[in-house]
Amino acid sequence: MSFWNILAQLAQGLVYTLWVTLVCSATGMAVGLAVAGLRRMGSPILTSILDGYTYVFRGIPVLVMLFMVYFGLPSLGLKVSPLPAMALSLGLIASAYLAEVFRGALDSVDGSEILAAEAMGMSRLQVFLHIELPQMFRFAVPGMVNEFTSILKYSPFAYTVGIPEITKQAMTLTATTLRGIEIYLAVGMLYFAIYRVLLTGVQWLERRHQIPGMETN
Amino acid sequence: MALIQIRDLVKTFGTHTVLQGVNLEVQKGDLKVVMGPSGCGKSTLLRCLNRLVEPTSGEIHFRGENILGPNVEVRALRQNIGFVFQQFALYRHLTVLDNVSLGLRKLRGMKRSEAEEKALAQLKHLDMEAHRHKYPAQISGGQKQRVAIARALAMDPAVVVFDEPTSALDPVMVREVAELFTRLNREGVTMLCVTHDLALASQISEKVVFLDRGVVRAEEKIRHLARDHADPRVRTFFGGKE
Repeated sequence: MSFWNILAQLAQGLVYTLWVTLVCSATGMAVGLAVAGLRRMGSPILTSILDGYTYVFRGIPVLVMLFMVYFGLPSLGLKVSPLPAMALSLGLIASAYLAEVFRGALDSVDGSEILAAEAMGMSRLQVFLHIELPQMFRFAVPGMVNEFTSILKYSPFAYTVGIPEITKQAMTLTATTLRGIEIYLAVGMLYFAIYRVLLTGVQWLERRHQIPGMETN
Repeated sequence: MALIQIRDLVKTFGTHTVLQGVNLEVQKGDLKVVMGPSGCGKSTLLRCLNRLVEPTSGEIHFRGENILGPNVEVRALRQNIGFVFQQFALYRHLTVLDNVSLGLRKLRGMKRSEAEEKALAQLKHLDMEAHRHKYPAQISGGQKQRVAIARALAMDPAVVVFDEPTSALDPVMVREVAELFTRLNREGVTMLCVTHDLALASQISEKVVFLDRGVVRAEEKIRHLARDHADPRVRTFFGGKE
């Protein structure tokens, strides 16, 4: 079996890896954004609850959370399928980190611009949607790329709940061929290729939407 | 009837009283200048007008209505008072044109094309049409101020208030700002300007209101304040002898 054959075999798991990464990233983005947004506009009590959420979820290991959801919840009568289990574990943990990234980016928005929008007659929600959010996304790009990369690198945990992603394919292949070094080298190359494509895509988006005076690097 | 009538306005932050009973009137078509040393409460006074800061007591009547009452629609009130901030506070993620048209689209419900047409007319009026596609970081301080003024005027406010309009500009630009203010006022724009820039004040208005330690101490011609006022602090502030 040539190295290319190994790569081709592993590529069967590529779609699952990408799908897990995408679903968990989308969950992280949606929940992280909601947490950061509500924290920005909410009451002190709500802020404490949301701070508690990010504090707790950032402290739980992904694998422990995944096992709690996938193997623990059925004992309470809640059976969760593998992909939703990944979203509820890796996705929610990522949301806690992303909420912090968004919080930092929101703090970078100039207070005088917010005041000017309020002075113009905008509601708090309008200020958030039209002034804070568009600027926040630009400031948050480096942190978001970091977190998406982490999600990609944690995605191999999906094999523990039966999703046949790249690492699962590698384990099966190693068991039958005993060529572990080449196989895991190929796995590393595939993950790096995905990371590289993701980075290129983000850099392209950044360049396309670059605004003079708001460069993040 | 005065456009704005302020009566016994008091604002306290904790134990510090910034405004101690301010009385002031602005008539339609006025270009009123409020001067005073730093920390005398000028900016707080402006922010009380559109309730960015809630006064502790007193009354502010805008077009005859007490705007400190419980049933006042604060957002509607703010749309009637254009505000030009000290550092201009342009939205840095938006082009010059979008900065001016945003309020028209989001607050007045205009279509993009309609809002841009109106914004463009306002930019043209202030000689900023050529810069419409630039971002705030690409224009000078004086140009930013013109955009901020265009943004305020586009909403057709009853009055435009200026908070220290020359503090972020070099001294050479003061004359340009003064000419612009005089022109806008001649065209019928009611303006209330707080500043401690004597050069600007003397070029745009004969009379000024002198605010000191939270109260209006005088409303007089600058040369009278500098020469004849009984209080030596006032004379010193306006460049006269103690």
